[in-house]
Amino acid sequence: MLRQKVPWTLGLCLALIAGLAGSGCNNLAKAAGDPKKVRVGIVFDSGGKDDRSFNAAAYRGVKRAAKDFPIVLRDAEPGDPASLEPAMRAFAEVGYDLIIGIGFAQTPIVEAVAKDYPKQNFAIIDGVSDLPNVASLIFKEHEGSFLVGMIAARTTKTGVVGFVGGMDVPLIHKFEVGYEEGARAANPKIVVIQNYVGVTEAAWNNPGKGKELAVAQIGKGADVIFAAAGNSGLGVFDAAEQYQKYVIGVDSNQNWVKPGFVLTSMVKRVDNAVYQIISDLVNHRFKGGIHVYGLPDGGVGIAMDQYNEKLIPPDVLRQVEEAKAKIIRGEIKVTNAMEK
Amino acid sequence: MSNILIVSLLFSAIRLTTPMLLAALGGLYSERSGVINIALEGLMLAGAFTAATITHYTGNPWVGLAAAILAGALVALVHGVACIQFKADQVVSGTAINILFLGIPALLSGAFFESTGATPQLPKGQLIPMAPIVLAFALVPVTWYVLYRTPFGLRLRAVGENPEAADTAGVDVSRVRYLAVMLSGALAAIGGAYLSIGQSSLFARNMSAGRGFIALAALIFGKWRPVQTMLACLLFGFAEALSIQMQGVSQIPVQFIQLIPYVLTIVVLAGFIGHSRAPRALGLPYQKKR
Repeated sequence: MLRQKVPWTLGLCLALIAGLAGSGCNNLAKAAGDPKKVRVGIVFDSGGKDDRSFNAAAYRGVKRAAKDFPIVLRDAEPGDPASLEPAMRAFAEVGYDLIIGIGFAQTPIVEAVAKDYPKQNFAIIDGVSDLPNVASLIFKEHEGSFLVGMIAARTTKTGVVGFVGGMDVPLIHKFEVGYEEGARAANPKIVVIQNYVGVTEAAWNNPGKGKELAVAQIGKGADVIFAAAGNSGLGVFDAAEQYQKYVIGVDSNQNWVKPGFVLTSMVKRVDNAVYQIISDLVNHRFKGGIHVYGLPDGGVGIAMDQYNEKLIPPDVLRQVEEAKAKIIRGEIKVTNAMEK
Repeated sequence: MSNILIVSLLFSAIRLTTPMLLAALGGLYSERSGVINIALEGLMLAGAFTAATITHYTGNPWVGLAAAILAGALVALVHGVACIQFKADQVVSGTAINILFLGIPALLSGAFFESTGATPQLPKGQLIPMAPIVLAFALVPVTWYVLYRTPFGLRLRAVGENPEAADTAGVDVSRVRYLAVMLSGALAAIGGAYLSIGQSSLFARNMSAGRGFIALAALIFGKWRPVQTMLACLLFGFAEALSIQMQGVSQIPVQFIQLIPYVLTIVVLAGFIGHSRAPRALGLPYQKKR
């Protein structure tokens, strides 16, 4: 009786696997079919392209590029860190012209794959590589965070502001240190509470924990919280709404997520950076090496729109603009936590 | 530490305990009937995703919760069919469900929302932050009563300890096990629904973040008994709440504080619980003798 059932279940499994594998190959084969078009592959990090934040910004950028230029665009969203490399190799293997890795976690993977495919171009966001065929797109998050730190310190009534980071890694410390320095510049007596959701990739996708951290900070008096935590940050937004406090968004403009409770967003224009690199490639100007995006070029900054224009008084904005000019001129030095 | 902080610590601990407790009680039904349920993690994800999606479309979290219960029971039924009907290895089947639910929400959210693993955020009015907490703690005495004071509970324990004897006494072993496994799926799914439409306001991929496995540890720590299991869940919930409160105030490194719940899990499982005896027929498929 048992023996009869085995082939049946096995057959079903095989059919499923074949179906999945078939659909995957199909996509790549179709994309590989048009040799005239420049082919761009993008590999998102574990947050996924709909995190309304970091990955979402990258996705907006490539979509805009796909509209403006005749390119073939395919994306991959590995569900776990172990499938990042196979996804990237799959693009390289079928000869994609530009393969973009989103997020610092992909730096070693881009390096390894780019070494094996030296004739193809690669780009990495938030990571640095010395290889000639890799463009390293990095941002001065500490400078943008400095500005939102000032806004937080000028807005708080309790003198306590919070920071909720996603994964506890140097890149996110860059946000935290800049934020804290900005807050201190506006109010030397400010208290900054900082928390991290976790120490693994799962820290980007744990809104429940993000909310608990925010609630704990609110319990300690924080009334403005800067969330740099991907999907976990959305839990901080929930906490801010529930307790009528302010939250500061990150990477994408998140002012719309909970209107009235989002003070501003520290935007990191990953969209512009990937758009630029695709445009360079299409116009045969692609260059490897380090591309830095900061305050002067709008690579990082604060988001002002109809959702938050009433939340920030003009004199605060003026002070922020002055600080921005000083940072650009080099009169204010913001610590870069990754260079310590 | 001031009183306010202690109160907020307690509330935080209760919120963090709720999803684990629901999943652990679910696991209790399944395992007391003799079916290992390592799939709690996947069942929670199934419940979390279904609740968030259905609430988004209907605007009613109660419909979302009901759908989550249904989804959890159905997914658990798959586990039941594999383990009871086809006598598959129960750990393998459970692991398969866990892996399946890393992928299925991404696939479905792609079809529904053009996203890959996250659902749209729900407005505050469409959340049920309190009901699952009350339900979780109310279910502890209910489970105790069902287990030790009802005919169904007696049969459940009997098929988990000695299915042959239960069968001889006229108990339909498969039927009891199917019911228990589906009940476990329903409860774990409520735990998942609490994560997506109670505590937070959206589904994010793999948002259960290991809570199903900690629930399983709590179940073993609690010696497969409802009250002890609740206490075990509370201990883990309290440890996590404490790690949240301590972060950023003390000079202890964050990484160390975040270890607390996990170290506690290992310590209690390895040393402090004494002998924890599993239901005797746990993990053994039952083959009716002819």
